[in-house]
Amino acid sequence: MKSPSDRVDEAGVDRAVEREFPMGAAETADGMDRRTFVQLLGTSLALSGLAGCPRAPPEKILPYTRQPPDLTPGNPLHYATAFATGAYATGVLATSWEGRPTKIEGNPLHPSSRGAAGLFEQASILQLYDPQRARLVKYKGVARAWKSFLAETRQRLDYLLEANRAAGLRFLLDPSGSPTVEDLRRRIAAAFPNARFHAYEALDRDNAYQGARLAFGRPLETLNEFENADVILSLDADFLQCVGPHLRHSRQFAARRAPGPAMNRLYAVESMLSVTGTMADHRLRLRSSEIQSFALELLSELVGKHRLGALAAIASALGQPLDAGPRAAWVRAVAADLARHPGRSSLVVGPRQPALVHAIGHAINSALGNFEQTVRFTRPVPLEAEAGSAALAALAAEIRDGRVDTLVITSRNPAYTAPANLEFPSLLSSIPNVIYHGWYEDETWARSAWTIPAAHPLETWSDARAHDGTISIAQPLIAPLFNGIPELELLASFVGEVDKNAYQILRESWQKKTPAADFEQRWERWLADGLVPGTAFSPERPSVRWDALNAAIRGAGKQDDAAPPGQRPLEVNFVGDYKVYDGRFANNAWLQELPDPITKLAWDNAALLSPATAQRLGLGQGEVVTLELRGRRVDAPVFMVPGHADDAVTLPLGYGRSGMEGVARGMGFNAYLLRHASAPWFDSGLTITSRGKHHPLAVTHDHWSMEGRPLALQSTLAEFQKNPGALDELRGPTETFHRPVDYDQAPHRWAMAIDLSRCTGCSACVVACQSENNIPVVGREQVRRSREMHWLRIDRYFSGPIEEPSVITQPVACVHCELAPCEYVCPVNATVHSDEGLNEMVYNRCVGTRYCSNNCPYKVRRFNYLHYTQDKPAPEKLMMNPDVTVRARGVMEKCTYCVQRIERVRIQSRIENRPIRDGELQTACQQACPAEAITFGSLHDQSSRVSRLHRDPRRYDLLHDLGTRPRTAYLVRIKNPNPELA
Amino acid sequence: MADWILGEFGTSSALLKAAEQLRREGHTRLDTYSPYPLDGSSEALGLPRSKIPLIGLAAGLSGATLGYVIQWLTNAVDWPLNVGGRPPHSAPTFIPITFESGVLLSALSIFFGLWLILRLPQPYHPVFDLEEFRTASSAGFWLSVESVQAAAEKEQLVRRLRSLGAVQVSIVPERR
Amino acid sequence: MEPVGQPDALDPAPLLVGVKDDQTVTQIIFRPVWERTRRGWWILFLIGLGGVGLLITAISVTLARGIGAWGNNIPVGWAFGIVNFVWWIGIGHAGTLISAILLLFQQKWRTSINRFAEAMTLFAVMCAGMFPVLHLGRPWFAYWLVPYPNLMRIWPQFRSALTWDVAAVSTYFTVSLLFWYVGLVPDLASLRDASKSRLQRIVYGIFALGWRGSGRQWHHYRIAYLLLGGLATPLVVSVHTIVSFDFAEGLIPGWHSTIFPPYFVAGAVFSGFALVLTLMIPARRFMGLEQVITLKHIDNMNKVLLATSMMVGYGYLIEQFMGWYSGNIYEMYSVLNRMFGPYALIFWLLILCNVLAPQLMWSRRMRTNLAVTFGVSLLVNVGMWCERFVIVVVSLHRDFLPSSWAMYRPTWVDLSLFTGTLAFFGTLFLLFLRFLPAVSASEVKELRQELSEHAEEKAA
Repeated sequence: MKSPSDRVDEAGVDRAVEREFPMGAAETADGMDRRTFVQLLGTSLALSGLAGCPRAPPEKILPYTRQPPDLTPGNPLHYATAFATGAYATGVLATSWEGRPTKIEGNPLHPSSRGAAGLFEQASILQLYDPQRARLVKYKGVARAWKSFLAETRQRLDYLLEANRAAGLRFLLDPSGSPTVEDLRRRIAAAFPNARFHAYEALDRDNAYQGARLAFGRPLETLNEFENADVILSLDADFLQCVGPHLRHSRQFAARRAPGPAMNRLYAVESMLSVTGTMADHRLRLRSSEIQSFALELLSELVGKHRLGALAAIASALGQPLDAGPRAAWVRAVAADLARHPGRSSLVVGPRQPALVHAIGHAINSALGNFEQTVRFTRPVPLEAEAGSAALAALAAEIRDGRVDTLVITSRNPAYTAPANLEFPSLLSSIPNVIYHGWYEDETWARSAWTIPAAHPLETWSDARAHDGTISIAQPLIAPLFNGIPELELLASFVGEVDKNAYQILRESWQKKTPAADFEQRWERWLADGLVPGTAFSPERPSVRWDALNAAIRGAGKQDDAAPPGQRPLEVNFVGDYKVYDGRFANNAWLQELPDPITKLAWDNAALLSPATAQRLGLGQGEVVTLELRGRRVDAPVFMVPGHADDAVTLPLGYGRSGMEGVARGMGFNAYLLRHASAPWFDSGLTITSRGKHHPLAVTHDHWSMEGRPLALQSTLAEFQKNPGALDELRGPTETFHRPVDYDQAPHRWAMAIDLSRCTGCSACVVACQSENNIPVVGREQVRRSREMHWLRIDRYFSGPIEEPSVITQPVACVHCELAPCEYVCPVNATVHSDEGLNEMVYNRCVGTRYCSNNCPYKVRRFNYLHYTQDKPAPEKLMMNPDVTVRARGVMEKCTYCVQRIERVRIQSRIENRPIRDGELQTACQQACPAEAITFGSLHDQSSRVSRLHRDPRRYDLLHDLGTRPRTAYLVRIKNPNPELA
Repeated sequence: MADWILGEFGTSSALLKAAEQLRREGHTRLDTYSPYPLDGSSEALGLPRSKIPLIGLAAGLSGATLGYVIQWLTNAVDWPLNVGGRPPHSAPTFIPITFESGVLLSALSIFFGLWLILRLPQPYHPVFDLEEFRTASSAGFWLSVESVQAAAEKEQLVRRLRSLGAVQVSIVPERR
Repeated sequence: MEPVGQPDALDPAPLLVGVKDDQTVTQIIFRPVWERTRRGWWILFLIGLGGVGLLITAISVTLARGIGAWGNNIPVGWAFGIVNFVWWIGIGHAGTLISAILLLFQQKWRTSINRFAEAMTLFAVMCAGMFPVLHLGRPWFAYWLVPYPNLMRIWPQFRSALTWDVAAVSTYFTVSLLFWYVGLVPDLASLRDASKSRLQRIVYGIFALGWRGSGRQWHHYRIAYLLLGGLATPLVVSVHTIVSFDFAEGLIPGWHSTIFPPYFVAGAVFSGFALVLTLMIPARRFMGLEQVITLKHIDNMNKVLLATSMMVGYGYLIEQFMGWYSGNIYEMYSVLNRMFGPYALIFWLLILCNVLAPQLMWSRRMRTNLAVTFGVSLLVNVGMWCERFVIVVVSLHRDFLPSSWAMYRPTWVDLSLFTGTLAFFGTLFLLFLRFLPAVSASEVKELRQELSEHAEEKAA
């Protein structure tokens, strides 16, 4: 007899096997098979402790802050480098142990990081060691040497040049702001006059640039300074997650969430509940297509009632007066609030919204005098302002006409991410000579003649621009593990620089730019700091072209279909996924297993819709449906999200991969199959038919409601100030039979404080914890059995009406109770208290009774039900943090307050013979948090930030009445609603 | 050479009377055999009170003490740890094991004490030489007089048993 | 055949039917041991062995793959393993109770069934004992729960109810074994003397330790047996009390309850008596023991069943009441979750089996109706298993923070382990019935003696 649960684990094993032998990666070009290769790699690294890392890049790379006299085995070094998602680079610090990069953290000096790190930056370390990465230069599937690629390509290029000055040569690149790539492109263009460059990414920002072009006559980059904004209106803009400098945004936004007069107010208008939406003081659910008319209504309200002089110029275009109804009231209130804060308000428009909405946003911001205050402009970061489906459609047309002979692709897997109607995969196959520079043997790889493995950012030299144009030199920490070729070397080969490596190419281009005598010193400074000072773009001061805007608005008219909710045709929305972005991170097990910040879905995506709409369509949670749009079909499970706009369905992109990546394959469904180049973000006329099947989704947090329990608390500023004593029964001492243990003798009383007002639920801390503490990935089947291993989880509760819920997120890890219920039930003393109050887990003493977990009211303990670390692919073992035990089967584990970091700092302070300074010690989660919601320190130090927060009037203890005396305190989330909307 | 005199009686009461009688007549090395314990057999044989209760009590008390002391030594003295803020010497939580160890030691000592007192296991015994005697464990009631030396005495005993109502009397040689 | 021991007003049904003398007793009781093995026995035995094979497979999978082969998760850290453990331990209690407590109260009717029940106790405890070890994440370190001197000077943590369990269960098994064996010795001697072949004589002889049934031996034997009974009585109460501490010591709603000890003990006796009936009714039929295990016994046991059923019923009532009376939102929710949550069906099933079904036993006709008794006893076994499931799994799967709530689904390994132990138990029991007297001959003879004296007095 076999039960599904049995197949569950077999599946797990299968996956493990796939990971071990990714197809086509069985042997490397030099005939050494992967196993021996990795074994050698392992051995060499073992030796590296003594002999320094043989795989370290030959060039001189420079550690962050200090250059060591010599590498001290056992002490990690931090190197500043940069990681770009899309066009924008985020400055990061990479931790390196004897030449093994193990962790990625934010670079405090970098403008868009400020020391924080997002999901993608941190998780990219896992992809560095991903054994499924492409590792062979191949021609039509046969392994070839890099040299022969160069030779044969050279021949073809010469032929093309003679034929028609290389008219058939095309480049399809990732949008990038890299100055060196810019140089190379210029030189390639010179060498091949008729060659053309195209840029494409699935989650483009074309609308933003088009909007700027509409409003100002030229594409511009919009920079938001939320620390100056008292009132923020977001139109479908998820500025706190994923998009551009979201880390910077989160920090600035959170800085203004402290209760008090300086507190900002956020209005969000969106269709799918977003991270930003959960932070909003007021949220209006509208279908994406209705947001434009919302913007127009707002505009007319501002023009009509608030007489903003500048806007008068376009008053003529606005016919419709504001009708009655709740939405109208909303518009009025928001308009009034904005008008009350000229120069202190900010209207943010998301890249999914059409150009007109962006233009209106600019108009309003300019009329409110927000320019230079909360909104700034620079030239666009990427070299092309058009990098979306329009750009790709143009290329597709040329391919169809057979005008493309050789297509060089460095863009991320366009065969998969291209809108379905372009039929890009078949077009690729029709091109005589496609050269694909990719990370994986993915969909595009399968349709390219020449396939070249790309080097990971941590394996190569490059440079990139941040959102404000600041340039970072990205330095490698390890020589390519899988024979990856740097993009710079590939491009350089087209201008004949075949013998130069990325380092030389980069340095030469920079030497040309800076002929200064002290270049060497500067260069070293740049590498050490992780950025080139003074390279931020100079600010642009555009002015709105009212007449053009007038015309555009007249042209637009009113979009809404008058039909009442329920009869309207279904709208479909395409969004970048919080975890796999456009699919480029689909093979990243950390991100796949990370519960989505909103849906708490792991390993799968789903068709998201509101409970009301699901009810109308008669669909249940997890029911598999066929989605049909413009004659294209795809099957997807349905998932209800409270607060989603009615009559709309949201499809996260990036899943349903059919490439050779074992982790990504078979996870979720591919929403690109419904995407149309003419309507890449939202479209109407979706039909849904149930398949009568049910798909077991891996949801880590299924229960929406708090059941009226005082767990994650939120209140309004007014209420809170009315009775500040409301929290007294949720804090302070509780009765106990025992004489409390005296911690005064101990040097420290470690404690944590988590400010729910700041926490956006972005989940960066979860990945940081996973990376710092060697937390294993367990796979979809195990998550379905709720055996995920995350030490830190983010609880997400909905309260209020399920259609218009108020959402709150609450990070929960071990709260290190002083009277810990887990400890006294352990029969073998495997979990006990340290004299500084840490609840310590002794892995090698644990026999695995799981009594501690049963008795933990917070359920933060995690158990190794299987040997999760056993089938870890060999390369990933190099990524383990040597300061943290890798747990084996059958033992319990949980948050340690990053005890390894405590001890490192303690050692350092003893060496320097000084006490540990407050703030010197950061836990991994605290360090990553862009909103600075997590604080850690000692309660003995009365002045420490954590003790001040523990004395904060907003402080309360989770499950206080149990008398467990947690060391982690929570601060109530305070919201700042508009009285007019109360 | 010494012999054992064995006599079988029809009923338990007859057996007990006979035993009583013989003891009055000064025979000390008597024993009765029955498939189940007979009320009054101890009195008939004039046996002193059994020591087993004392053994059980002593062992029980020492077991309990031992149990408590082990818990106290290991958790409160040898290596006290801060376990959930509970006092190292948390007496109430030591009670269950104290009780159990007391019972365990008491039961073991009673069990082994019994066999010690009865000198069991004992693979061979003269009475087993008499095939008829095997009824003793299923239905028969027997009476034995231990190793009698003098032939005259043997004669006399056989007669006496018969007169006391023995169904059959046999003499079993006691091998040395 | 006329009954021995005249029926009187108080106990009308006879305890023994048609046993003229000790010889008949011996014949009746030893017949199954002497006669050739029946085909039915072989069939059952082979089925049992099959089940044991399944058990061994499941255990191997558990040890090889890890506890992940079970359905447990976070928050449900304990599930089938502990449910089965508590269930089996509970069943064991009937044996000790019948043999020890009824011995102290000098209940005549115990003599015919105590051997039977004690054997059941031993085998049940064997089955129970497997689970605490198997459910460990690292079973090979199970001995760390015992205080043995080691270089690291790491000791067990005696505030944990699990260390109490180790002491309680091991003591319980040892004492039950000794008690059972001591009671067996006179019969072993009797078997030795009555055995036909030399081999039997030698084997039984070894275990009989040379017992002669002499007055001096009986003199010490009786007091020792009585004392062991006296020890077993508080022991049996303590064992399930301590098992209940596993839950009462925790703070999970549905666990953290002071009524658990008495309510667990009652439940244990309840389930134990049920299983004794389940096994005895067919056994006495097929082994021709109707004369020594009479309707009188069935009747009395059903009375105990009814009484204990009322006690556990009271337990359920108080649990729900306390949940409400505490005014604690978490307790209240756990009560509602039991009755109307995703596992509500199991809760209502246990109410049906444990509280409603035994109410039949108010009527004597039902008490003495073998079919009804058998059916009810089966239901009670099911019901008691459900009770443990509700306490362990249903309390855990929804505790304090809704974010961690999850469902529990058993795997094939869970199911095989449970059915496997059932088979293991059955197999041991078959061996017991085949090679040892299922009823204590010496005690029945003693009883027969008493009854006949009693009868003579009445006649006079």
